[in-house]
Amino acid sequence: MRDMDKNTYYIIAASTISHQDTFGKTGFSDSMSPVVSPALITPDYKAFIDAGLLRRMSKILRMAVACAKDCLAQAGLDQPDAIITGTGLGCLQDTDKFLNTSLTVEGLLPPTAFIQSTHNTMAGQISLSLGNHGYNMTHTQNTLSFEHAMVDALLLLDEGEQHILVGAADEHIEILSEITTHLGYKPGFPLTSGASFFIISKEKRHDTVARIADCEPVAFAQDPVAKLTRFLDTNSLEISDLNRVVYAVPGNANAGKYKTIWREAGLDPEKCINYLSLSGVYPTASAFALNYAVDLISQDRSLKNILIFNALRKENLGLTLVQSVEA
Amino acid sequence: MSVRITGIGVVSAIGFSVAENLQSLREGKSGIGKITYLEDSRPFLVGEVKASNADLKEKWGLDSSHISRTSLLGLHAAKEAWGENKLNSELRTGIISATSVGGMDRSEVFYKDYLAQNNPEYTLLKTHDSGSTTERIAAEMGITDYVNTLSTACSSGANAIVLGARLILQNKLDRVLVGGSDALSRFTIDGFRSLMIYDDQWCRPFDETRSGLNLGEGAAFLLLEGDKSIAFSGNKTICYLSGWANAADAYHQTASSPEGTGATLAIGNALRKSGIQPEAISYVNAHGTGTKNNDLSESVALKNIFGANIPMFSSTKAFTGHTLAAAGAIEAVFSVLAIQNGLVYPNLNFRNPIEETRLTPVTSLQTDIPIHAVLSNSFGFGGNNSSLVFADHA
Repeated sequence: MRDMDKNTYYIIAASTISHQDTFGKTGFSDSMSPVVSPALITPDYKAFIDAGLLRRMSKILRMAVACAKDCLAQAGLDQPDAIITGTGLGCLQDTDKFLNTSLTVEGLLPPTAFIQSTHNTMAGQISLSLGNHGYNMTHTQNTLSFEHAMVDALLLLDEGEQHILVGAADEHIEILSEITTHLGYKPGFPLTSGASFFIISKEKRHDTVARIADCEPVAFAQDPVAKLTRFLDTNSLEISDLNRVVYAVPGNANAGKYKTIWREAGLDPEKCINYLSLSGVYPTASAFALNYAVDLISQDRSLKNILIFNALRKENLGLTLVQSVEA
Repeated sequence: MSVRITGIGVVSAIGFSVAENLQSLREGKSGIGKITYLEDSRPFLVGEVKASNADLKEKWGLDSSHISRTSLLGLHAAKEAWGENKLNSELRTGIISATSVGGMDRSEVFYKDYLAQNNPEYTLLKTHDSGSTTERIAAEMGITDYVNTLSTACSSGANAIVLGARLILQNKLDRVLVGGSDALSRFTIDGFRSLMIYDDQWCRPFDETRSGLNLGEGAAFLLLEGDKSIAFSGNKTICYLSGWANAADAYHQTASSPEGTGATLAIGNALRKSGIQPEAISYVNAHGTGTKNNDLSESVALKNIFGANIPMFSSTKAFTGHTLAAAGAIEAVFSVLAIQNGLVYPNLNFRNPIEETRLTPVTSLQTDIPIHAVLSNSFGFGGNNSSLVFADHA
């Protein structure tokens, strides 16, 4: 989005559940190695979700509600002004379950899986668990779902809201691996699940380390490098000004091209990280990348500019600029 | 702050165009009947668009089998709303669609064969994700500056309209097609049946004997334009979107609160944003699904806001069926048509008011009355409540 009046959007809380040891761990980026774990590393959900509710909740709902509550606790807030989520594929576990029941069972079907299959179940469950009556939105634009949710959050701050809970989640189910193979898609890294939530605010806290400078989802991206150059130009930056590039390129087919671009711009290849190697592959992994970037800055405030370059799907491009906040 | 509406398009069980839908609304002709096009032999009442996928594909010269019905319906409505407008590199043009099931109609075909181990066609799943249904519409129309999909169950279409208006007011886009599309699927029919809110008879919104909804399918889009775009296009303004609000009910994952908390907030905030006084609302196009729960909760919310002076109101769901994510967009088009043509549509199948609230909707077509402002409600699962206010003045 072209933006004439630059506003400042502080990240005052961040929380991620992933296949890595990320939840509740500031500084997790320091010791991170490529993702190998076949399963999520989850917190004790009972600390966040009522036991009765928890039993009925799928993986994606548990992750989303726990991250949302963790964010509010970090920020010391009772209520956000709005709840915005992004999801590429939605509540797959319940969708798969109800589709199966619908095609195989005659007569009256149990409704829970249907109820929990809609994409906005996460945002709905978060509002329910908080008793929140604010703006409640769910964006689903495959690999750009999180970026679109973020743009919505930034719009709300510009419209005068104070604290926005924004995040994204996707869950892996077994049939996805099978489908991926059959469609000949080579993700290059394990297919995983993950959820990352944030509170974005107009007001800086004493412990705030990072802010969103800009976020742009690009549809039908034909020339990603030209788009990137224009995006940085809008923010008065050049590629060489970037302290880190956190990027997603699936497989290894296109990785070389981007490595060349970073190198030719004078960036140390060590400082350019394919975040899919850490998060694994799911449509909203760029939300993981944002938490990763915030965490890097929390450990090293000299990282002034971190670019998240999301080319997970070649037709789409997500560009997010994260900047460190002066202490 | 209002936003100009300069184009509308709709396809539903009551017609393939704005003109056909308007004609059916005037004639009190419902589009609900037995399942004909969906591969489902059960005797349920649905509001189907009266065309096969092959018909729809032929109409737009598409030969690929890998396009969901949701995309086909959306494309049909989006093309009508877009009309003779041209893409222009000086104008930032976007599209926001809403869908609840995306390409589920195709995924079901795959899944059936998959379960039966009958050589399933995996490529059908490429149209499953909701975002891809919008991308397909955008690709056919050449719209690239902003392509997004919202999915908030039955309020999705209204929310797409809200987001588009906000993007224009914040000067992120010059013009944007906003709306929603949902194809009928076995998945949703079974879903609402499992909740025991699917009526085997014709749905009866706001009637004491109402016992559920009939599902429908369709799509609608509106073209919203900002000043720069208008200067270029010279398009005439049909009417204005002047107020909107989205609020969470936070009561139950599917049911609405008996106090109509979220609905009252959405209606109240939308009116406040529009600056239009409640007594200046000429007509309310209600969500009115025909379920016990929604219609009672919505009635309570209307009383909370309007007190004893409830404007003329009706639900048009007995014409189209409940089209889920498309409903907010289809009913937005109907609201625009009410203003444009001085009409209030009848609430079909109504006999006796709900005991608790005693509200009587309009039951016969009202013509030649000045309609200056219309409130349109859309309430969804997850307690997602949205209200829009349309007006004939800025």
